[in-house]
Amino acid sequence: MSAKPMLQRLRDAANEVDFNRFRFWFQLVAFVLFVYGGYLAIDLGSKLPFFSCGYNQEGRAGVCYLLPLQHQLGRNWAVLFSIASLSILTGFLGFALWFIVLNKGWCGFVCPLGTLQDWISALRRRLGIRFSNYTHGQFAQLTKIKFVLLALLILIPLGVGGGFFSHDMSPPFCLICPARMILPIFTGDLSQFTIDFSSKTAVVMTALGISVTALFLVGSFVKKRFFCFFCPMSALHYLISKPALLKLKKDGSKCTRCGDCYAVCDMEIKEIADDVTTTNIMTDDCTLCLKCVASCPETGALKATFAGIPIFVSTEAGFIKRMNKGCQHGK
Amino acid sequence: MENEIHQVIPIQPAPYSRSRQAGEAQTVLDHIVDDFQENPAAMQYFYDLFRGVYCHGDEIPHSGKLVGTTCIQAPEELIYAFGATPVRLCNGSYHYDQRGADFMPAKSCSLVKATLGMLSSENVIPKIGKPDLVVNPSTCDQKKKSSAMIEGMGYSVYDLEFPNVKESEASRVYWRRSVREFAEQLRKLTGQRLTRAKLKAAMAMTGRAQAAFRTLHNFRRQTPSLILGKDAFLVTNAYFFDDIERWTAAVEKLNAELAERQAAGFRAVQSKAPRVVFTGSPPIFPNLKLPLLIEEAGGVVVADETCSANRMLYDMTAVDEWLVGDMVDSLADKYLKPCTCPIFTRNDDRKRRLLDLVDQFQADGVIYQAFSGCQVYEMEYRSVAEEFNKAGIPLLYIETDYSPDDQGQLSTRIEAFLESLKNRKKRHA
Repeated sequence: MSAKPMLQRLRDAANEVDFNRFRFWFQLVAFVLFVYGGYLAIDLGSKLPFFSCGYNQEGRAGVCYLLPLQHQLGRNWAVLFSIASLSILTGFLGFALWFIVLNKGWCGFVCPLGTLQDWISALRRRLGIRFSNYTHGQFAQLTKIKFVLLALLILIPLGVGGGFFSHDMSPPFCLICPARMILPIFTGDLSQFTIDFSSKTAVVMTALGISVTALFLVGSFVKKRFFCFFCPMSALHYLISKPALLKLKKDGSKCTRCGDCYAVCDMEIKEIADDVTTTNIMTDDCTLCLKCVASCPETGALKATFAGIPIFVSTEAGFIKRMNKGCQHGK
Repeated sequence: MENEIHQVIPIQPAPYSRSRQAGEAQTVLDHIVDDFQENPAAMQYFYDLFRGVYCHGDEIPHSGKLVGTTCIQAPEELIYAFGATPVRLCNGSYHYDQRGADFMPAKSCSLVKATLGMLSSENVIPKIGKPDLVVNPSTCDQKKKSSAMIEGMGYSVYDLEFPNVKESEASRVYWRRSVREFAEQLRKLTGQRLTRAKLKAAMAMTGRAQAAFRTLHNFRRQTPSLILGKDAFLVTNAYFFDDIERWTAAVEKLNAELAERQAAGFRAVQSKAPRVVFTGSPPIFPNLKLPLLIEEAGGVVVADETCSANRMLYDMTAVDEWLVGDMVDSLADKYLKPCTCPIFTRNDDRKRRLLDLVDQFQADGVIYQAFSGCQVYEMEYRSVAEEFNKAGIPLLYIETDYSPDDQGQLSTRIEAFLESLKNRKKRHA
């Protein structure tokens, strides 16, 4: 038999990769880059589509778009409804351009807060404690929360700008976002762990922030990717995901609905296993971590494509390699 | 009283190998081995295995407790993890079918009659020994009602509760709980604890067997075929009772030979031989009646969708975190979600699976076997036929049982069907 062409060999190598290990290292590098990159004077701007938290002032290599967005929307209405607000549109355009490249892959591969949750999960796993799941009913209700948070994240700053709410509520989401408190810790900055007693609103908001952070730590120990389920950034992603380059595709005719993809899904997305008609299978909760592709035993049933080109395809050989590795692991 | 005969010549019990039952197996096996040319050399292991077990009544040794299963839904990884040995009790022998007919309703299906007939006899063939526990998943009505009957024969029976609907979330939750209860039952039976290492090792063992099966399955995509369907069915039938590691090694050897055949451009059939996907009631040795009739008539079974072969071994389990809880739940999902058994309310998965097999294996047609009395397969035929009509794929529906009486008329029907497939192929070419 003749040797396989170079491209095919490259594809096979990619499809049979030890995916979890690859993703671990990718996430680690991204974490270091975005949490410590600032020390190397890396600045990728303030339109990043993931939680590269602006409050991590020294280490950050760029700023999460939600921070400037809320500030911009919180302008005095006279300014907001003037030509000056063109910058909101250009800002959004910049954000959208970043986003389009990786789609929700930013969540599954780059977001430092997401990575942190994966590490907390790994710690739990090492302790031999099993993860928890939502019931079907809980899932259906909770999944809406991120859209509510997204709406509030837009409406509250508008209210602040219009004089309806106190300035101490701005930026509302950042004040309750666990990334604001946790990511600066990695550069030795504990200053966010304070309750601001300057006003009643400030007390409520900062206390809420601390509670959410505590909930985040406990939640992500119990539940895989606990916070992503409620993340308004994830909701925003989903709303503009149509033109994104990285896509998760499913070929239902090859699917046996065995549920292997669902079994490994951190976000408990049932559609990934049960839906055999939708080809563009990324749902609002998906983080494009691509674990489903890695755990699918049906060749070609699931694949990640970039600009239409398949870059990671589920294969039988890849599945057997990865799962057998899992089996030998504890022997 | 003077006429009383004092000297009674004791009737010597005839050895099993000379019984009619052994004869039935012998005839089929001879047919499988001798009436086809160029059988793969690696098939000798399986021919010898069946000859020993079914024709000579050889015993099959096992380790630990023996757990008999009456359906593919009993998670065998769990049984292995508890140090016990699973054995699939579903039987294909006409001898036992007739025996079962003595106490079962006339319209029951041959498979259930034969299985119960076997369990009710003193000398059970295959000679596996008396199962310490018979696990009877609550699948079709006939199997469900068998529980009490099997118990009446002196076996200890565990009803593994299996849902009739598989799409709903409630069924998944119910079944996962059911599987956990089964694990608890096994713990009581064996006195062992289910540990992470043991379950992982059990899953690695079945995983290797499944990988070997999949490789064999993939070799059957080749046109013209490298191996006949009758041999493939014999291989998967052996999985019912053979030692799993020995079985896997034998299949891997067969795969190596098929790889050589492929490299050498070997053809097990003529290039024009119609390629058939087999679906429906499971062919179980010695009842390989239909696959044999198909291949005698010049066709070749390239793939199947039955619970004695593909459905039993195809779907593999993925686990995210290798902890006992996650492994057990993942296993439970594997045994429910991809299952295409007709006992479920709906069966879109079966239709999609069949269409995919026809496409992937470049099949020319499908033969659908329904055992008389297997109501679910009989009823589901209609919807499957409609789907195939729409897709323009020829389908032959055959209702039959274990009796050899209908071979004549079946072979006529099959020959006619294969002939039409050939003509169709010519027209399309």
